[in-house]
Amino acid sequence: MRYALFLGCKIPYFVPQYEISTRRVLAELGVDLADLEFNCCGYPFRHLYFSSYLLAAARALALAEAQGLDILTPCKCCFGSFKRAQFLLKDKPALQQEVAAALAAEGLAYSGLCQAKHLQTVLYHDVGLQAIKARVVRPFAGLNAAVMYGCHALRPSRVTGFDNPYAPVIVDRLVETTGAVSVPWEGKLQCCGAPLRGKDDELSLAMIRDRLGECRADGAEVLVVDCPYSQMQADWAFDLMQPKDSREYVQGTVLYPQLLGLAMGLEPAELALELSTPDLSYLLSFLSEPQPKKAHDRR
Amino acid sequence: MFFSLSLYAALLICLLGLAYKVWTWLTTSIGPGSADYTPGQRVRAALKGMAGALFSPRIVPLLKTLALDGLLQRRSFRVSRLAWSAHLLIYAGFLLLLVAHALGGLIIGRWTEYYPTLNPYLFLRNLAGLLLLAGVALVVYRRLKLPGLRLTTRGVDRAAIALLAVIMLSGFWLEAGKILSPQVFGQMVSEWADAGNQAEVRALQAFWGQEYGVAFPGQAAPPAAELLAQGRQLNQQYCANCHSAPQWAAGSYLLSRAFKPAAAALAAPGLLNVLYYVHFLACWLGLALLPFSKFLHLFTTPLLLMINAVSDRQKMDPANRATVRALELDACMHCAVCSIHCSVAVALRHVPNLLLLPSEKLAALDRTARGRAQERRQLETIREGCYICSSCYRCTRLCTAGINLQDLWFAQKDDLLAQAGLGEPYVDFARAADQAAEPSRSQSLLRVRQEGFQHELKLSAQAGTFSECYRCQTCTNVCPVVFHFQQPKEELDLLPHQIMHSLGLGLREEAMGARMVWRCLTCYHCQEACPMGVKVTDVLFELRNLTAGGGSTREEA
Repeated sequence: MRYALFLGCKIPYFVPQYEISTRRVLAELGVDLADLEFNCCGYPFRHLYFSSYLLAAARALALAEAQGLDILTPCKCCFGSFKRAQFLLKDKPALQQEVAAALAAEGLAYSGLCQAKHLQTVLYHDVGLQAIKARVVRPFAGLNAAVMYGCHALRPSRVTGFDNPYAPVIVDRLVETTGAVSVPWEGKLQCCGAPLRGKDDELSLAMIRDRLGECRADGAEVLVVDCPYSQMQADWAFDLMQPKDSREYVQGTVLYPQLLGLAMGLEPAELALELSTPDLSYLLSFLSEPQPKKAHDRR
Repeated sequence: MFFSLSLYAALLICLLGLAYKVWTWLTTSIGPGSADYTPGQRVRAALKGMAGALFSPRIVPLLKTLALDGLLQRRSFRVSRLAWSAHLLIYAGFLLLLVAHALGGLIIGRWTEYYPTLNPYLFLRNLAGLLLLAGVALVVYRRLKLPGLRLTTRGVDRAAIALLAVIMLSGFWLEAGKILSPQVFGQMVSEWADAGNQAEVRALQAFWGQEYGVAFPGQAAPPAAELLAQGRQLNQQYCANCHSAPQWAAGSYLLSRAFKPAAAALAAPGLLNVLYYVHFLACWLGLALLPFSKFLHLFTTPLLLMINAVSDRQKMDPANRATVRALELDACMHCAVCSIHCSVAVALRHVPNLLLLPSEKLAALDRTARGRAQERRQLETIREGCYICSSCYRCTRLCTAGINLQDLWFAQKDDLLAQAGLGEPYVDFARAADQAAEPSRSQSLLRVRQEGFQHELKLSAQAGTFSECYRCQTCTNVCPVVFHFQQPKEELDLLPHQIMHSLGLGLREEAMGARMVWRCLTCYHCQEACPMGVKVTDVLFELRNLTAGGGSTREEA
């Protein structure tokens, strides 16, 4: 299994622990990553500059296609952006022509062959739950985790095809492989507020604050996110948190590959756990003792 | 006399220019809080910082950076081997020429006798010149070949390349001319040999003509062996002590061979005199312009790299941060690596604003910070460039000069907002849409546009988009924005289903001006939930795009 890793613009600087843990866990699972120099996926342009958005997304897809690789992105907004571009380019000849002309000027082309996948769709569909479970040697015990699906991966489902938009299971199942319990909670399918950050900060911040409060109220000890934007929203809310708020928020947010990596017996430092705020070391106390290798591994 | 006078004048301009530049580093303010420090405070903070770095173990990383990043240019090597080769050629050639040619008498002459016509100087000068010329050729090739570089090449880049080329070519031509010139030979003979002895002069002439390529007029047949042998011996006696064989001047000698058929014209004494003036005056021009040109990076870039090696921009004394930001403006040598690799450069096709490229944004920042761009229009263009940036930090990571570009972009955004009231364009577009909707709001909502649906518009103006809507309000009921507000109608003007309905009636301005459009979180709940498949979120996206101009394409073309 080999993919072109599309980190997007936010991960390298703002959420480096996501890149580190993703690379580490995927290497452990035998997923090979190619590093190409991509442009932005176009997501930030969509509000105001649709043409730039579509060209940017198509260009990144074309770059991966030139290498004969599918894209793997850990970002749900990049994922949604690619999915929409693929959807539009599939059956809109006028858009297709315009984009093709712009790409051809650089000697690039996008035929629709390259698929964009999210880290979790790769883990769920391509690696498979069984293969992941086989690598879990220190499952969490008694850890209640809340998962947040991420708007731009989930909807519109006709375009993104991530999972059932009303009763998704992919992320729950992936979290359960680590031994953690995915608790039902109010904000699971809701918005983190990232799209309005810098545009309407009050509304944007209210969204993530609601989520951080809801998952605590519904009994979660940690919020699992799998999008750099959600992580940055949580970082922002925690930064602004007053001491009196601390009881209302969930204790911390963890990126899925960090959670999985710990259950796979990797060291916290290999997953850059120390870069996450608030401090996530409390998660270690939920880890069970390392289990002997499973029978089929001993052969 | 003129030579020295003009040199001193150039040197004076250079020194005054450097002093002026240092002054601007202490007075230029970029980013909030930078203006709070007086130049005196900034000098004190800088001296304190420097002392702290020089007299501590931090001297080790500092020297390591100077060696690896300053002398060997590791950062450039990592980004582009071609750019690195070009730069190293120019810079090695330049240093060698400076030491072994321009300052030859001054530096080398201190320890030993220095004759520019003697090896190793004769050879080294040519080698250095060829290196530099090869570097200039590579630079020109790169600028022509890479589209990103072609786009960002400015007058200052062309001027710098042209100046180097003029200095190099005039130097080579001058030397080639001297090799060819019988007049120059005559001068040397009268100065160094016994010019009164005609027989000896003839022998020397035979030798220099035959062996050293001087173009004596009317010299057709090779001289007699005896005369040549005598000439060789006299050359040993009079010349060889301070003149090596001109073949050692490899570049100039080759050029002289090419020039030989037209030697009388190409090595005419008058022309050589002009070339001599061109050569040294071009050098003086480079010297005088050094503080005001990209050549200043000779000092500023290593300085910045060393500062970066021992300090963290976030934890730095704010007074020093202000000084370093100003210094960064002068550390850029406009290599355009940042722009070639910019994540959002792809947007240029539809948003033809060069200021979205980092290298150009930096130049614009230089103008605003020094108060040279203050017109509203200019500032708005700069603002557009600032906000079409995905903050990926790639420019900062790759910058060969170690400029923290991303830090400058954030500072620039803050300044634009504080000084000109120019913030996030999205907010301004929302306000503009609100104002445009005002006249329509005051009229009766029953007024439906006479012209009916506007066919040039797509999603938001096609009957098919809305005809399925039977106003069940599901979109509004699932909207987290509507849910967030106690009194959503007061906060949002129109609710999602009302926007869809307004568009169905052709009331586009009212719809575009509704705060709901601009407070949409793009979570797609409404679109997913619509029982009739109306693309509510996509319509809102399109309304925002219509306000902004959005480029030529529409979602549903």
